[in-house]
Amino acid sequence: MMRSNDRRLEILAYGSFIIAVLVIPLLADVFWLNRIAKYLVFGMLGVAVALSWGYAGVLNLGQGLFFGMGAYMMAMSLKLQSPASVQPDGALLPDFMVWNAAPGASQHLCCISPGSWLWIPFQSQGFGIAMALMLPMLCSFLLGSSIFRLRISGVFVSIITLALVLLARLLLIDAQPLTNGFNGLTDLGWLTIGGYEFDPYAVATYYLVAVAVIVVLLATRFLVATRAGLILQATRDDANRARYLGFNVAAYQVFFFSVSGLIAGMAGMLYVIASEFASPTFLDLSFSISMVIWAAVGGRNSLLGACIGAILINVIEATASESPMLSEAWKAIIGLIFILVVLYLPRGLTGLARDIAARLGERPATSPKEQTQ
Amino acid sequence: MADILFIGLSLGSILLLIALGLSIIYGTMGVINMAHGELAMIGAYTAVLAGKYLGIGLIGSIPLGFLVAAVLGLVIERLVIRRLYRRIMDTLLATWGIAILLQQAIRLQFGLSFFGINIDGLGPGLQSVSVPAFLRDPVRLGDFVLQPYRSFIIVMTLILTGVTWLLLYRSAWGIQIRAIMRNPEMAAACGIDVRRVGALIFAFGSGLAGVAGVLLAGLKTVSPDMGASLVVDGFLVVVVGGVGSLVGTLISAGLLGQISGIFASVFNDIAARAVVLAVVIAVIMWRPSGLFNFKGR
Amino acid sequence: MSVSRRNLLKSTVGLALLAGPAALPFRAMAAGKIDVGVLFSNTGGLSIVEKSLAAATLMAIEEINAKGGVLGQTINPIVEDGASDPKTYNEKASKLVIQDRVVSVFGCYTSASRKAVLPVFERRKGLLFYPTFYEGSECSKNVVYTGAAPNQQLSNFIPWIVKTLGKKKFFIVGSNYVYPREMAKISKMLIEAQGAEWVADEYLELGHSEWGAMVGKIKNSGADVVLSNVVGDSLIAFYREFRNQGLKQETLPICATVTSEIEIAAMGAEYAAGSYTSFPYFQAIESEANKSFVERYRAYVNDPKAVTHHAMESAYFQVYLWKQAVEAAGETGVDAIRTAVAGQSFDAPNGKVTIDPDNLHCYLTPRIAQWQADGQGKIVDAFPEPVRPLPYVAYGETAENLICTAKGVDSAKL
Repeated sequence: MMRSNDRRLEILAYGSFIIAVLVIPLLADVFWLNRIAKYLVFGMLGVAVALSWGYAGVLNLGQGLFFGMGAYMMAMSLKLQSPASVQPDGALLPDFMVWNAAPGASQHLCCISPGSWLWIPFQSQGFGIAMALMLPMLCSFLLGSSIFRLRISGVFVSIITLALVLLARLLLIDAQPLTNGFNGLTDLGWLTIGGYEFDPYAVATYYLVAVAVIVVLLATRFLVATRAGLILQATRDDANRARYLGFNVAAYQVFFFSVSGLIAGMAGMLYVIASEFASPTFLDLSFSISMVIWAAVGGRNSLLGACIGAILINVIEATASESPMLSEAWKAIIGLIFILVVLYLPRGLTGLARDIAARLGERPATSPKEQTQ
Repeated sequence: MADILFIGLSLGSILLLIALGLSIIYGTMGVINMAHGELAMIGAYTAVLAGKYLGIGLIGSIPLGFLVAAVLGLVIERLVIRRLYRRIMDTLLATWGIAILLQQAIRLQFGLSFFGINIDGLGPGLQSVSVPAFLRDPVRLGDFVLQPYRSFIIVMTLILTGVTWLLLYRSAWGIQIRAIMRNPEMAAACGIDVRRVGALIFAFGSGLAGVAGVLLAGLKTVSPDMGASLVVDGFLVVVVGGVGSLVGTLISAGLLGQISGIFASVFNDIAARAVVLAVVIAVIMWRPSGLFNFKGR
Repeated sequence: MSVSRRNLLKSTVGLALLAGPAALPFRAMAAGKIDVGVLFSNTGGLSIVEKSLAAATLMAIEEINAKGGVLGQTINPIVEDGASDPKTYNEKASKLVIQDRVVSVFGCYTSASRKAVLPVFERRKGLLFYPTFYEGSECSKNVVYTGAAPNQQLSNFIPWIVKTLGKKKFFIVGSNYVYPREMAKISKMLIEAQGAEWVADEYLELGHSEWGAMVGKIKNSGADVVLSNVVGDSLIAFYREFRNQGLKQETLPICATVTSEIEIAAMGAEYAAGSYTSFPYFQAIESEANKSFVERYRAYVNDPKAVTHHAMESAYFQVYLWKQAVEAAGETGVDAIRTAVAGQSFDAPNGKVTIDPDNLHCYLTPRIAQWQADGQGKIVDAFPEPVRPLPYVAYGETAENLICTAKGVDSAKL
């Protein structure tokens, strides 16, 4: 009885979130539509963190690495779609490559600077999208394989991922002729599918992001309920016990870590579509830690909770920083919220919602409806 | 060559200075203190304010910086950390919140800026602390130029490390600390007041951060954000060295400092940073619990 | 029925959360007011400089309002915080342009933040007034650039270093991002044209403050002058380490393109005394207009020791240029203001400034100052008149042969 109630509760929570996401275009103006699309992308990052932290039990402090990979892969192909990349002779060459090239370098994508040939396949937008999804997944698979096969756990995984994202950021900025360094990739074209251009402020783009978030939410929710998901959670709770039971623990961990990387990469890709730029600040440590905090606020053990937590924190940040009263103090308020949530709501808002609901449910049965059940 | 080794030694001493406090807090209590850099920042501001209002120079500010940061550490321990023992990842998040809060407190001059009150020496601007005259001008020893202030930092770091060592291995208190490091439940069962020792350790570690801040104020700029990059480097040193091992922290700081100094001098600073990060990743992959690990947990 | 209560709770929370912001109404354009955006970082690492830019902008707006505003209407500044993060910059710019529908935005300090907001201004028809000296190679029709273009910092500086200081061997050092690399590229061309040489071109991570190894390299390089394109608090550590390793400004001067009054005040003037910087504006400019500007600014921010600097002065005078353009246009449309701002002149604290009708950059007077022990620059060289801005000087752009024109960038010449 209790379990089926829980299940119905969860279905309704997911259902109402999905409906809310789908009806927003009826209520929001152009600006808020775009803004909420960006926050939904952050919500997707919340799901990625919840998956690796709440379910696989490893705190990845370098989720920004996968987000950044997805973002840069997408941005590279959109950069080549931009009119700014068409040279007078008709050749495709990003404008910044011309500025950053050594004097007298060949004016072709193949060899204007060392490694610029890597850009050639990105002339196909399909390749950009495929890379935006595959590269983060592949890298998280490789990273996950080495971490989990070596049985590195806990804070050491966090330190490795942290060092890795710092290293990637350093190299990304240093490879200025190839990546435009600290300024990032801007002046991008729009995503075009079947001749339709996704204007970042159009309802279509919102729905592109919204549907992606919904699919990710439902798919991950399905995944964690499968046998593989249950083994994963058993591993999180006690890795050795799961090992003794004969499960190939590392394989499950690697699988979910890779899915988490894939989702973060997809989020990066969608963020570029909605915001029209990619920047090395996506790989900032503070951004990666922010993602973890969004998930903690929403509830790290709940995919939907982490997603809502990300959206909620960003809405609070936006409204607080835009109110004249709080414009100076909003960061301090955010800091305070983090502390209070960690201290008093260890299971995040999801935990709070469950407790409140449980308390309401525990009251003596008085409502006639309940008696009929 | 001596030049390069000196630079490496100096870089290593700065790393050790930051990592020392982190190392004993993390080793004893398992708390990942992301606000450690901000405690150093508070120490640096203590030196700025002491110079401006009390006329105390940089060297005189060292005990003051220790005291201010230690008291603040005690407060943080009471209000936040105490409630989070055994929730290691949560301490990381909560102290990150504290870090943001401390930065904003300095930037907004503890909220006084809302009332139009400005304290000279606080606020979002850059501050600096001048170095005592006798530590300022370089000393030539043949071809080698000795920088007195960097040498002073190296000496101070060694003294602080020595004090920490004495505390851990030659005092009654240290036996309790090491007992807690090995097994907190057993230590508690033997009548050690784990919470009290934990609070004192946190205050001592915070105080060390404060001293680091004062010393760095003479070398770098003092600003509300100065702590953010310190804590990351400090953590890399602690983890590479091995949790709870003072010797490990000492060696890993020296090692990373020398690698950094040599690569920066021979190639460039960007390559040096990349190599250090790569070494950190490789060491953790190779020995997941650090170079030195005596823990039996 | 506990289930339905829980559901109700969750779904209402969810809906309120998502519908709340969406329900906010459009900002109504109040009669008698012209909305403009002010977009700088009030928080984060860059707020040190950017707060002074925001203050200068708001001071100019207040002054204009006190004298009757623009077209009989008061200017209403909408201040947003870029939080030193390009992501936030992008979001706030789209709020200002799309939701608040401001007439123009005054803002951005770093190139990274400008690049992040550009798509908003170019695709959503906004107009940005950008006050910072930058690396050039940009020719947007939706940005008015009032800081120095590379030629206004370097074209006089390098020949002066070679001829007047008699230096022959340059060590070029910078933070690792676009501006210093581009400045280094232009400098090398100028250095070689002067018959001098450069011995090294080195970079440090942005925000890095450990200079031991780099200063050691400078010492051993045999260079007789250092050209610094280092930015932010990193450069403070640089000047300190320079002195700590026993290098002397008298024999090996640092000639900088970024070091301004704000960093000099922060590092302690004794570390920089004797070094040089090239900017169109210095606080020490001896003119009544400038003295009055410094005084008014200090009164405005309520800090008798506040310093003024180049980007800040541009942030101030560009509001006046905007006002003149709006008045000349007689309306507040983006196209009308852009057309009208071309060729506008204003007597700024640094002298006469004019917007170039072709590239929408600003005619400025290059100056070189030597920093003194009191933290002020002594102007040792100044151009007789304002110099035409050439954002594409790295590609051989000259005043006679423009690459960036009113029609856009002529990429055939690149």
